[in-house]
Parts: sequence; structure tokens; C-alpha cells
Amino acid sequence: MNLPGAQKGWSPDMLEFSLIAGILFGLFFALVGMGLNLVFGVMRIVNLAHGDFMMLGAFGAFWAYNLLGWNPLVTIPVQGLAFVLAGMALYYLLVPRLVALKDFEMISLVLFFGLSQTIEALAVLAFGNNPRSIFQPVFGQAPVHFLGRTFPVAWPVSAAVSLFFLILVYFYLYRTRAGYATRAVMASRDEASASGVNVDRISALTFGLGLLLASVAGMLSLFMLGSVSPDFGGNITITAFAVIVFGGLGDPVGTVLGGLLYGIGLMVMESYLSSWANILPYVLLLATLLVKPGGIMGKEVRHV
Amino acid sequence: MSSEAVLTARDLGISFGNLKAVDGISLDLKPGEIMGLVGPNGSGKTTLVNLVSGLYRPDRGEVRLGGRKVTGLAPHHLARLGLNRTFQVPKPFHTLTVRENVELAAFYTRQEPHTAEKALEFTELAPLADRLAGSLNVGQQKLLDLARALATGPRILLVDELGAGLGPMELDQVAAKLLELAGTGVALLVVEHLLAFLNQLTSRVLVMNAGTRIFEGKLAAAAEDPLVVEVFLGG
Repeated sequence: MNLPGAQKGWSPDMLEFSLIAGILFGLFFALVGMGLNLVFGVMRIVNLAHGDFMMLGAFGAFWAYNLLGWNPLVTIPVQGLAFVLAGMALYYLLVPRLVALKDFEMISLVLFFGLSQTIEALAVLAFGNNPRSIFQPVFGQAPVHFLGRTFPVAWPVSAAVSLFFLILVYFYLYRTRAGYATRAVMASRDEASASGVNVDRISALTFGLGLLLASVAGMLSLFMLGSVSPDFGGNITITAFAVIVFGGLGDPVGTVLGGLLYGIGLMVMESYLSSWANILPYVLLLATLLVKPGGIMGKEVRHV
Repeated sequence: MSSEAVLTARDLGISFGNLKAVDGISLDLKPGEIMGLVGPNGSGKTTLVNLVSGLYRPDRGEVRLGGRKVTGLAPHHLARLGLNRTFQVPKPFHTLTVRENVELAAFYTRQEPHTAEKALEFTELAPLADRLAGSLNVGQQKLLDLARALATGPRILLVDELGAGLGPMELDQVAAKLLELAGTGVALLVVEHLLAFLNQLTSRVLVMNAGTRIFEGKLAAAAEDPLVVEVFLGG
């Protein structure tokens, strides 16, 4: 068989490059999945508009750079705060009514699918249907040399920003009171409520945090994925979903591992089988569900 | 000890679709009193516990805590007012340790930190305090759920089938613990299938069938009541 990428042959140099780039991309993909997974873990709702919120984060950074001249790193905290507040408002607007319905998991899929379509349509109206990107050297001119390889400087910067936010999530979940309460809600909403935890408030906070992470990941997509257009959301939601299913639904540690393995897998495929790389999320999703439905961190049997 | 009721429920009712899961139940509990709640599967016992503890909002009726109307308040609110419950199938916070489970409940209901430690000692879980809750067996998870409820400093405790899944030795120990609790003035509503277990605790029972009350009074008298006998023996 003569696959297109195979002609490049196996060179140890290329493998080394793929692995290092894979780790950089892996941290980014872990961040892409983390927001979706936190929301799922706490609410058992798949936020199908996750990718659309990423798109909004990317456009926010794009306009802040072009209109105000803000470096994307400056945009992060300002925009992040706006997304936290928007997420909390959206939670209180939508979710309590949703939970009161009989078949709320099913209906939540329809609702968030509708939200995704609405955001995309409004974005086309507002921004036009063009892919946007930010001039790469915004983070500095010099390419980075590492272990004898050369990378665009935006890659390690994006990876560092991703790592920073992943560590922040870790500290929130494992070192703060609200984080303990969040993990309690993830385990059981009813028991958390009986323990005096205001489940709605924790859920709203988590939804806000999920959108904050989406906005940062969206901004980084401008550098890691080249450009962002209003219809960017659908595919990246599937990628995020593949990462969190692979890592184990609801498990934040699994998402980091899933993101890293996905990033490495993607870079290896881009190097050796580049025309096949786009199907990776779908193959990963299918393979996980067939072979290990609980994900790499999950138990074999589902909890009842 | 005061003879005023700490918990009063009047004419509670809730329907799911066409099913009247609980249909006009009233009850009173005084401090230190233990009341048994029995009935066949699906008779609405757990639904009643869910209504009183705030997990479900009743379609009709009201719940009062020491005269204060609390109908429809969320469980976390009721927990802070001194009403708590255990779960038939406990789902402890499995990624937290035993101690963290209990401390979380004490913290969010604004109890003194030592309340959590006392609850662990009372339920004899102190030796397991640093283990992850997910690693406990079913019996230990039931005790942890009890410890979690106790850490909230309840004046009223609704106990939903604590006995199911425990061995005979453990049952006797748990019965002694519940009696000790009542001795400190906590009012208990105990949902139970095991009548021998219930008999150790109290003589006063409420019997439910199909969402309604079919008997209230002495456990011994219930056994003679034709309607109760019919329901239990499937007449």
C-alpha cells in the first residue's frame, strides 16, 4: 500500500519532532476538553455549544488585537471574567428550568445543539463568514529551538498558557473549599445537597469556569490550528468530546492524559499519514467506545 | 425535653404523571422520638422522605420545622436548619476521603469543625478516616452516609433503609446507635423493611400503601390490623 504520508518514510528525527510537538499540542487539547468535561462532570450535560464558545473566545481575542491592539495574553483575563459571568447567567437562565423537565438529559442535548446553531448563525451575521487569524509573531519573532528542533514560538507559548490553566483547575478542584464541593456534586448531586452544598451555585460557577476555559482554548486555537471561522465550533466540539471520552467522562485527570495522548497521536499522524489525520477524533471515539467505554482512566463497568 | 413537635407534615402529596406517589400523608415528630415508616415496595416511603427533606417539592401540603414553614426549601437549606436524611443507596463522594466527606458536610452546614470528628467516632469510622470513600464496602458506605448526616448537626434525622445490606451483628450495633441518638434529643423517622430491627427502636409506626396511610399506632397492633396484614401478605 502506498499511503501519501508513507513516502516520507520513518525517520527518527521526525518521530522526535512529532513527540515534542505532540506534547505541546496535547496540553492545548487537554485544555480544549477540560471545560467540556467539568460541565459534564457536574451537570451530566454535554455542552454541544462548547466549540462555539471557543469560537467566540477566538473572535474576542482577534478583535481585541485588531481594534484595541491588545496582546492575546492581555485579553485572557478580561475576556475570561466576561465568560465566567456570561456562563453563570446562562446557567441560571437555562438549567434550573431544564432540570425540572422529565427527560432533561435528552432535552439538554437538543437545547445546547440549538444554542450552538444560534451562536454560529449570529457570529456569521456579526463577523462575516471568513476565517480569521492573528499574526503569529505577536508572541515574539524568534522561533524556538529545543532538542535540536525548531518550533514556531506560538506553540510553546500556547502550551504554557494551557498548562497554567490546567494547574489552576487542579488547584481549584483539589485545594479550595469550592473545589471540594464541586467534586462532591460530581459524585452525587443529592448527597451534596444534603451536605449543605448549594448545588445550583456550584453548578453555575462550574459552567462559568467551563466557558472561561473554552474562551482561552479558543484564543489559543488561532495559533495552534491556524485560523478560526464562525463554523469552527462543530468540529472542535467533537474533538473535545473525543478527548474527554478517551480520558474517561467526568474525570479531570483523565482529560489531561486523554489530551496529551490525542496530541501526540495527531502529530504522529500528521507526520506520517497526514491526509488521514482529520479522522483521528472519530476513530478515537469509536475505538474507545468499542474497546474501553469507561475511557483510559475509567473502570470496566459503569457505575449504576 | 419539650413536648412540642419539631417536625410537622400536613397532607403532603406529590404525583408523577398519573401516579399519586404520596397522597395526603401527615405526621408529627417530637424531640427524641423515633417513628417507624413501613410499607411494601413502591408504597411511597422514600418519596415521603424526599418530600420532607426537600429533594422533591410537594404538589400539596406543608412541612414545618418547630412551627416555621419550610415547604419547598432546597435540601441544603433544610440541612442548615437541622433536618437531614440518609440515602437508601448512599453515593458518598468517592474521590474524597472519609474524613473529607464528613468535614464537607460540617463545613457547609456551618457546624463546629469537631462535629465532623465526633460523627466519625460515633459511627466508628475514625480508623478509616483517611481512606477514599470509593474504597469502602456497602455497609461502611451506609455508616459514612449516617456520619455525613450527623456532621450537619441534625435535630431531625430521616433514616432511609439503613438496615438493608447489613449483617445481624451490625444491625444490633446500628440499632443501639440510633437509640443513643434519640437519647440526645434527635427526632428520628426510620424507614425500614426489617420489622425486628424496627421493633428494637420504637413501638410507634406509620404504615403506607400506594401513597396513603393505612395505619398509625403500635407496631404490635399493626400486625393484627386486617388491612396491614392484607397488604403485607398480598391478600
